[in-house]
Amino acid sequence: MQRRDFFKTLGTAAVVGATLPVMGMAAEEKKKGPNEFSYNQAVSAITGGKTAEKSDKVHLKVPEIAENGAVVPVTVEVDSPMTAHDYVEEIHILDTKNSNSRCVDAFFTPANGKAFLSTRIKLGGTQDVVALVKLNNGTYLIATQNVKVTIGGCG
Amino acid sequence: MEERTSLIKIKPKNYSDGEIVKVDFMVMHPMETGMRKDKKTGEIVPAQYINNVKFNYNGKLISSMKVWESVSVNPVFTIAMKVAGQGKLTVTFTDSTGESSENSIMIQPKG
Repeated sequence: MQRRDFFKTLGTAAVVGATLPVMGMAAEEKKKGPNEFSYNQAVSAITGGKTAEKSDKVHLKVPEIAENGAVVPVTVEVDSPMTAHDYVEEIHILDTKNSNSRCVDAFFTPANGKAFLSTRIKLGGTQDVVALVKLNNGTYLIATQNVKVTIGGCG
Repeated sequence: MEERTSLIKIKPKNYSDGEIVKVDFMVMHPMETGMRKDKKTGEIVPAQYINNVKFNYNGKLISSMKVWESVSVNPVFTIAMKVAGQGKLTVTFTDSTGESSENSIMIQPKG
């Protein structure tokens, strides 16, 4: 074997060696979680086909840039008097790209005094975080914000 | 059954009757999605995540939550609550493997 042939084979081996783990990772990403809900499926499961209006009453607080996707603080607050006749029934926190788009579905009563929900979620990559709110008269309100994720948090 | 460490915090610490306070509920829980691989053994870690949280105040359900696996490890849930006299706030949660636990705190308004 000549010297240049030897380097050629070495080069190919290195390329193959480098691509194999990448292919392995691509296969891993297709693994299925316990629940599979795309964003559209999740929204239609919640609203039952009704359209949700964009509203200023829903205040969604998420960092614009999340350095760590494993812990993204989300706060949702809705302007509502929370009386027996006019209150927020449900607050849903959704995302658009995780394999399961549903994060938390919270149900409230007038005894809460204020429609407020705060928690921390995992985001697999840069995507939108959505707050979907149901009022007791059956209307749905929505607020969306994009979050840039530097390091994904799923896996 | 393994007991999960959980904590309920009322903010602010001193509150009066009729005031709206924030209730923090924290649990030490792995929140496994069922998609993560164990780095040492290479096996998929089975899913185990909290799927239900209930807030009871004096035996009355004030708020409940359906939780999915996209919530972070050791989750924190914060809700608002209107103080209505002395009583007991009980938080119950169950996870996807059927494990359940509860924690409670006394509500004692001042003044």
